Amino acid sequence: MFYRLSGVHHASYMSDSRLYKIPADRNLALFFLALGLAAPFLFGSLYLNSYVLPWLVWTAAALGLNMVTGWAGQLHLGYAAVMAVGAYSAVHAAKFGVPWEFALLIGGISASVIGSLFAFAALRVKGLYLALTTLAMQFVMDWVLTHSPTISGGSHASLQAPTFALLGQKITSDTGLYYVAFGWCLLVTIFMLNLRRTGLGRALVAVREKDYAAAVLGVNSFYYKFVAFATSSFIGGVSGAILVATFFFLAAPEQFSVAVSIQALAMIIVGGLGSIIGTYFGVALILLMPSIVNGIVAGGASTLGLKLNVESLAHIPNAVYGALIIIILMIEPLGLGKLYGNIRDYLILWPFDQLKK
Amino acid sequence: MTIHRTIKALTVATLLGMAGQTASAQEAIRIGACLDLSKAYTFVSPQVAQAAQDLAKYVNQSGGIGGHPVEIIVRDHGNEPQRGVECYEQLKREGVFIFNFLSTPVTNAVLPRAMKDGNIVMQSFVGRGDAVDGEVFKWIFPVGPTYWQQAANDVAFIKGRLGGKLTGAKIGFIYLDYPFGQEPIEVLKTLSKAEGFDLKLYPVPLPGSDQASAWTQMRRDKPDYVISWILAGGHVVAFKEMKRNGFPIDKYLSVNWLNEVDIRNIGDEAAKGILRGTNVAGGQEVPLVKTLLENLYSKGQGSGPETSVRDVYYNTGLAIYAPAFEAARIAIKKYGWPLNAEKMKDGYESIKNFDGSGVMSPITVTAKDHGGGGKTRVEQWDGKSWVPLSDWSADYTDVVWKLIKENSSKFKVE
Repeated sequence: MFYRLSGVHHASYMSDSRLYKIPADRNLALFFLALGLAAPFLFGSLYLNSYVLPWLVWTAAALGLNMVTGWAGQLHLGYAAVMAVGAYSAVHAAKFGVPWEFALLIGGISASVIGSLFAFAALRVKGLYLALTTLAMQFVMDWVLTHSPTISGGSHASLQAPTFALLGQKITSDTGLYYVAFGWCLLVTIFMLNLRRTGLGRALVAVREKDYAAAVLGVNSFYYKFVAFATSSFIGGVSGAILVATFFFLAAPEQFSVAVSIQALAMIIVGGLGSIIGTYFGVALILLMPSIVNGIVAGGASTLGLKLNVESLAHIPNAVYGALIIIILMIEPLGLGKLYGNIRDYLILWPFDQLKK
Repeated sequence: MTIHRTIKALTVATLLGMAGQTASAQEAIRIGACLDLSKAYTFVSPQVAQAAQDLAKYVNQSGGIGGHPVEIIVRDHGNEPQRGVECYEQLKREGVFIFNFLSTPVTNAVLPRAMKDGNIVMQSFVGRGDAVDGEVFKWIFPVGPTYWQQAANDVAFIKGRLGGKLTGAKIGFIYLDYPFGQEPIEVLKTLSKAEGFDLKLYPVPLPGSDQASAWTQMRRDKPDYVISWILAGGHVVAFKEMKRNGFPIDKYLSVNWLNEVDIRNIGDEAAKGILRGTNVAGGQEVPLVKTLLENLYSKGQGSGPETSVRDVYYNTGLAIYAPAFEAARIAIKKYGWPLNAEKMKDGYESIKNFDGSGVMSPITVTAKDHGGGGKTRVEQWDGKSWVPLSDWSADYTDVVWKLIKENSSKFKVE
């Protein structure tokens, strides 16, 4: 043939299971890695600590949720509760004098234990019933937090976190805290990237597609669902603890309410179920868009000389934000990750067709 | 192409807007009002924002504070801690050092940052009760009575009504079952031991639309008075349940969050007799409100609809912002321009016998007591207006302060 065939061709299993099928993807990932490492020198402290940092921590958390919902296909409406377990147990452990490295681990493990306990009950049912059971877990957690001063920290239910420290070094600077969040997010991302090409990842996908078909293939669906719940709870727990340690500096029940659970679910749905890059986009949209839209509307109104009262100024961004989510899901129901994928595939076909060699 | 152009236009618009804001505000006293204007606290935030803007407008028309105009920067945080922190961090970098959040979750989330940075947080009527301890919470100013003090004052009022003693009395406490409602329980329990009255707790799930079981229980218990820590629409539900269970409405003593809208929803006539422990003087006869009505609203210069002025939360807004203005005035007089957080803090702590032209009880803020005395009074709805039944007073302050010290000692800035 005169023309090269389009598509990616693999001649060996090694090539097929590579992390990046084409060098351009790897280079892009390396570029973003470098960007992430250099971020403290590139962005002002405002953007670093009130936009980029929460974005990375939430991305790590959302990736955990994506594992159970996107990969294993189990709808989880109580993810914030899992994060709360992690956050509260880590903060209590740290207050008790446990070094933060272990406190984070304790947070993750206790979240994992409680998450799996619920999974035992929840996984006996499927689909919407499972969703409701996880929602119940959220409400149980909310109730526990607001009714036990020993856990929630007494006065107005706020529990102060001790200063974050790693290897005996107290971390207080914006840059230091950012690197903690970045490191955790990176770790989770690498784990999730590799999950795709392991037996576990393939088993999870099999369970998602049809659990009894998976069973026919010899995949124990209950076992893999359970592993997905436990692992994602661990990620959620540590992320919750890091969120409190590096961003809020104190834990309060409202930070892990049912609304937050729904938000986390929205992040991965808008971003794309089972998509890693999509999770990054989804979190950015759900978490950061409200204040950005707010700024644009407020700025626009003042430039155009519109005298809007404070209430309209608060509600218009909400409407815009809602419309944005609907429009995105209408254009591409598979989320922002798929949208990115479409554009990437198109560009790789032309004009970057040389890049895939 | 068009989308491209729109995005470009919007970006330019934002940048221009930002540039315009910073240029005009060089010499102004700027207060960051990050409020919840779109989610849970919408029943109060708009009136408070309007009051703050009106007050600033009026002060600016009369020459500003020490010659400097006041600028109120209103932003929405939707009651989300995350967005509140964002708002704080952003305004902080624009040079704002006086903040108001008017939401307990957001105030709590920002508190560690504000304490570390040394920025003033006006925390009137919300947030943790022990923040009045100025020795621990140096930068937090919950001017006005806390929920703890309000509950104690309510008990004192009931004591007065029951002939000066509470032994053998039965006081019910109906509350929303989350931190806001649970806040006064500790004070009430301590007082019930000290005074020998029987305290009955009636938790109600959020948002207070289902209170049936609480009131049937109350029908059995027959408390002498019931203190209510319920918000907005919850009062209307409580009223219906009172009717159904034959509970006299004039034994229902509400927290300060009961306004004209709730009364209208219950019905002006039907609500006759309902009691409210209040932090501020309601109504339009208050000299400060009168001044604003005459100077702004009669000329059509109000910052919002005039109907919002006929709301006790408007007066509440004035009561939150008037002490801040007073503190700024004292600070500038004492130390001169430019104002900073340190000077502002000192200004606050020098406020003596200030009643904001009649909008609240006279307050005296000190370095120890950032609350200013915590006086409240009880008012009764007579079908047309609120009639004060007691004078401004703060009772059981020793009990409340003991609790404050106990709690604040656990807080430390790291």
